[in-house]
Amino acid sequence: MRDWESDPAEQESGKGGQKELDEQVLGAGLCTGCGACVGLCPYQTVYHDRTVVLHACDLAQGRCYAACPRTPTDLAALRSRLYNETVCTPELGAVKGFFITRATDEGVRRRAQHGGTVTALMALALREGLIDTAILAGEGEGILPRSITVRDPEAAGMQGSSRFVVSPTVAEFNRVCLGNAAKIGVVATPCQALALAKMRTQPVSAAENGIEKLHLVVGLFCGWALSWQKLAALLKKKTDLARVTGMDIPPSCYHTLEVYTTGETIRISLDEVDPCVRESCRTCGDMTAEFSDLSVGSARLPEGWETARSWNQVIVRTERGMDLLELARRLGVLEFRATPPGNLEKLKAASLGKKRTAAIWLAGRGNTAERTGQAG
Amino acid sequence: MSMDREQKEGAEVLLMGNESIARGALEAGVRVAAGYPGTPSSEIIETLSRFSEAGKLYVEWSTNEKVAMEVAAAASFAGLRSLCVMKQNGVNVASDFLLHLTGSGTRGGMILVSCDDPGALSSVNEGESRHFARLMEIPLLEPADFWEAKEMTRWAFDLSEAIRNVVMVRSVTRMSHASGNVVLGPLPAVTAKAQFLCDGPVSDPDRGPVTSAPVIQKHRLQQEKLRKAAALFEDSPFNTYEGPETPELLIITSSACTLYSREAISLLRAEGRAGILKLGTTWPLPPALLKRHLRRTEKVLIVEEVLPFLEDQVKILAAEQAREIGIKTFYGKNDGTLPMVGELNPDLVAAAVGQILGIDPPAIPAEYREKLRALTAALPKREQTFCPGCPHRASFWGIREALQRDHRGGFVCGDIGCYAMASLFPAAGFHTAKTLHAMGSGTGIASGFGKLGPFGMEQPVLAVCGDSTFYHAAIPALINAVHQNADITFIALDNSGTAMTGFQSHPGLDVNAMGEASPKVDIAALCGAMGVPVTIGDPFDLIGTRVTLNRLLEEPGVKVLILKQSCALSPEKKVKKRFLVRVDEALCRGEACGCNRLCTRIFRCPGLLWNRERKKAEIDEVICAGCGFCAGICPAGAIRSEEAAK
Amino acid sequence: MTEHLTKDPYNIVITGVGGQGNVMASRVLSNMLVRKGFRVTIGETFGMSQRGGSVMSHIRVSPTAVWSPQIPKGMANLIVALEPIEAIRVLADYGNPSVKVLVNLRAIYPVGVITGEDEYPSEGKIRETVAALAAEARFLAATEEAIRLGNPILGNIVMIGAVSGLGVLPIDRELFETVIREWMPAARVEANLHAFAIGQAAVALKSPLPQREV
Ligand SMILES: Cc1cc2nc3c(=O)[nH]c(=O)nc-3n(C[C@H](O)[C@H](O)[C@H](O)COP(=O)(O)OP(=O)(O)OC[C@H]3O[C@@H](n4cnc5c(N)ncnc54)[C@H](O)[C@@H]3O)c2cc1C
Ligand code: SF4
Ligand code: SF4
Ligand code: SF4
Ligand code: SF4
Repeated sequence: MRDWESDPAEQESGKGGQKELDEQVLGAGLCTGCGACVGLCPYQTVYHDRTVVLHACDLAQGRCYAACPRTPTDLAALRSRLYNETVCTPELGAVKGFFITRATDEGVRRRAQHGGTVTALMALALREGLIDTAILAGEGEGILPRSITVRDPEAAGMQGSSRFVVSPTVAEFNRVCLGNAAKIGVVATPCQALALAKMRTQPVSAAENGIEKLHLVVGLFCGWALSWQKLAALLKKKTDLARVTGMDIPPSCYHTLEVYTTGETIRISLDEVDPCVRESCRTCGDMTAEFSDLSVGSARLPEGWETARSWNQVIVRTERGMDLLELARRLGVLEFRATPPGNLEKLKAASLGKKRTAAIWLAGRGNTAERTGQAG
Repeated sequence: MSMDREQKEGAEVLLMGNESIARGALEAGVRVAAGYPGTPSSEIIETLSRFSEAGKLYVEWSTNEKVAMEVAAAASFAGLRSLCVMKQNGVNVASDFLLHLTGSGTRGGMILVSCDDPGALSSVNEGESRHFARLMEIPLLEPADFWEAKEMTRWAFDLSEAIRNVVMVRSVTRMSHASGNVVLGPLPAVTAKAQFLCDGPVSDPDRGPVTSAPVIQKHRLQQEKLRKAAALFEDSPFNTYEGPETPELLIITSSACTLYSREAISLLRAEGRAGILKLGTTWPLPPALLKRHLRRTEKVLIVEEVLPFLEDQVKILAAEQAREIGIKTFYGKNDGTLPMVGELNPDLVAAAVGQILGIDPPAIPAEYREKLRALTAALPKREQTFCPGCPHRASFWGIREALQRDHRGGFVCGDIGCYAMASLFPAAGFHTAKTLHAMGSGTGIASGFGKLGPFGMEQPVLAVCGDSTFYHAAIPALINAVHQNADITFIALDNSGTAMTGFQSHPGLDVNAMGEASPKVDIAALCGAMGVPVTIGDPFDLIGTRVTLNRLLEEPGVKVLILKQSCALSPEKKVKKRFLVRVDEALCRGEACGCNRLCTRIFRCPGLLWNRERKKAEIDEVICAGCGFCAGICPAGAIRSEEAAK
Repeated sequence: MTEHLTKDPYNIVITGVGGQGNVMASRVLSNMLVRKGFRVTIGETFGMSQRGGSVMSHIRVSPTAVWSPQIPKGMANLIVALEPIEAIRVLADYGNPSVKVLVNLRAIYPVGVITGEDEYPSEGKIRETVAALAAEARFLAATEEAIRLGNPILGNIVMIGAVSGLGVLPIDRELFETVIREWMPAARVEANLHAFAIGQAAVALKSPLPQREV
């Protein structure tokens, strides 16, 4: 079986411009919608959850291609440049620590997807001046998320919950970079985190891109995201879109997507949801946002899902991530509980499972897969 | 710089073919002239409009050619001399009425002038209107020089009154848009009162109702009229022969091809070997005249544009007269001696005549030719594009942005007008416009595409249409789309004038061809009355246009968007720039990743210049029209625009 | 009463770009010749001229006959170019070893040059090419002179003046004045006469006008 990370031979051809980006990613249906190629120049933009080319650019090499998480990437090299190799694992990337946490503030938890760890940490980072600007995904029109930029910790604390349609977070980062923000923190899905990591390590050309303003990346675990158009069509059959307040995917044994509405909770079988999954997610081998400072997902607890759903599991990957988490512990922003035995191993197994499935999908795509190389 | 009222009878002046035709009509005492603008015909009505005067000469730009012909016919029915003018494909539009008009016959002399465009110099077809004369069974005249254009037009009115039917005068671009010496004749004082006599029986051509029924009877009468015309043509001064008594080669030709044929003979110094029968009355052909000339020789070359119209008629006559005139060898279009597409010129005719007579056309010295080839090879082309400050460029930019966002492969059905450039030169329309046919057809085609959803077509369909084209032929197509509930977005590109052909008036303006105030018909109100949503936008408001379009593209049924902004060449805009625009070099990203010359590489307004040495964009102040639109597309904010002082 | 021409017909091409007053120039020149008793034919290609295309007028002058509105290939006697590369373009089709060429040196860039895809030849290269292909080649900074007179469009009249200065056609300042007075509001006549005189003098003196600064 092919490793989902690209082999070095392919990295030789790993330079390109819009034309290659279009051939290998956008045209090949592998775009994640992260928005890394948007806002750098006038040629790409995001419409709904889709990244589109507005006009043809004929540069042989460009930042769009360089930053895109779906163009060939030497992940090992990237990892060794950004992380302490001694803590790197093949399954989960860098693991400096593994915790079960939740926000102490019940209000934050109520609005949050799970334990509210992400929201609490971002609010804390703003309050303590670790960052001056946070880029989050907020509520847009209907079930479409909207990238939002928050400078006020109170406002950040009000945000929360996951949007299962991608948000163009990195496009928003590109936009905010041009302004007067100095220290930016981003909540990112794995592909978005990878794009940001690539931007950090790629030599940039003439126009400035402000990547040095990136001070914090809080990653989200991610199994897959859904296509807006297809999801909307599916939900329209079940309910009025305007009534949808949130969604979640309980552990895999439930095999459902829960859709929360102003009235009831609608459970949709994953078999029905599966066709709505973005093609690019099927080829993605990163479940835990390996290129973040720390990553947050839902917890697995012996008490079962009803308890676990209000907790998070957190992988800390960098010094900065650890400092933030420790600060949160010290100030009582987060509650901690003991990590149940075997949790990390289960997570590793699940992550490896995603890497395998991605590799199979890539192989199944034939030539495109060969050219596209890897699945971020 | 054209014919005016001051010029006196007897003066020899330089007139454009179209001016000469107009002068001929004036000298014939024309009272009503109507037409629809179209190159190369527009100057005829324009010239006449300068002579218009209440009660003496009425001139109008009609909504389309069919209406123009109907307006002219009414004047004829009321006993006045009238003229209708159109370009070749306009005759197609008018042809339904023409078929009935030729059946009913006319009273006051009535002329149809059609200006064909061989080689499609300013058309998207090289259709031939001559065939209509035969199809409609009316006489056809073709002038072969500028003076003759006037004389022939004048005489055409007499002929029309002699046979009581429409007479067609056909010109071509190289006659209409060329100029030559013309001696002016007197302008008659006409006083006939307009009155439609209609109390008599149907059979009375002077006092009865005017109609093509009873059809068989009227049709028979019409053919008699045609025979009468043929008889008059036998000794028409417009048919001439020049050349030796018994030439080796007889060239039969008409129109501008007469001049090419003469030049060809001169180039080959074949004056002693070839003769030219120049025909001014090309349908129906006068048989006796043809017989007389065909007798001269065995080899006959027919030179004409574009299709073998004359050639076929001559061959029929020759077959009928074969016993008397002998068997001929014909050269022309059918045997490939001359090309059957495109326009002719002296060189092509010289090559054909030279080939038949075994003479090599004169050649420039080989050495010079070599030098010429080497030195003139790599010249930059002069591509046509929208003018600086043109609102169409902005409209198509907005359309492109919306269609790319929409991402379902949407496309634009183009139409006739300046904005046809978007279909003809893909880069000019940012690769959005994908069809181009007749006036108003974009909307009709869109209406059809808009019903293909149930067959699996997911692409959004747009139609664009200029204001003049809207009144001309798009209205029925739009009504169709509405009634059939087709899924289309109809965009009226309203630039307040028939810009393409030089700002003739149309029903959307408050002034008519004679410069009088006249009520205008509002596009938005018309569309609104069709019961579909109408949005009015400004193409220079990029974000507004794009957001509106993206919304409309997602809605079913017919949606109308009117993009209103006057043409950059319109008189009020030519006077003054709205914005002073400049490029801040320090901010310009140029070729770097982050812009890659969006303004000069993709947007391509001629007011923007790429400075190769400095590697920065610039504004050419002489060419920039100051519309300010480009400031909104620059990703770096390097294009700065400032409202110009009032 | 007609005067002598070196050729019958004498073939003139006036070429330029839409908006340069090409049509006006050919009408003025032709009207002068009609007044001299010649038969003149002008053939014009101006369908899309307003939109930046090349515009070309063919003028045929003859004491007796009406000639075709299209000059046969290789048969131009005089080429008047209001724009430099248009001179070369016309030479390619209508040039011959005895042709005379008048060139206004002010370039108008085609879209391809503006957008950086094509390169516009240098003034030196243009002079060299025209000189190599013409029996007589004269270069003028007509637009600059016209701007000095207050309106760049007068460049076309400077060029007509130059035709007169060349001495190949029986046209002079007086004749020009008669013709121009007929069409122009009196206020504009003076500037036109000036422009004509400048062109005429420049060629007659065999000294080119001051060069355009590059
Ligand atoms: C598309 C998607 C798929 C996921 N799949 C899994 C999974 O399979 N397993 C798992 O354990 N966890 C998954 N998660 C993560 C999980 O849903 C929670 O986000 C995570 O547990 C953190 O919970 P929390 O209560 O701390 O988050 P909260 O405090 O509610 O904060 C959520 C944060 O996520 C950001 N956000 C929301 N939607 C998006 C988006 N589309 N793109 C980028 N940022 C977003 C918000 O800005 C907010 O800051 C997924 C998240 C997303 C967005
Ligand atoms: S300008 Fe740069 S980032 Fe933009 S499309 Fe071109 S190569 Fe890509
Ligand atoms: S994955 Fe991100 S960077 Fe790549 S094409 Fe899509 S939006 Fe652009
Ligand atoms: S402002 Fe810009 S778009 Fe408008 S005419 Fe000038 S250069 Fe062209
Ligand atoms: S669009 Fe702006 S940044 Fe780009 S080349 Fe033009 S002026 Fe320069």
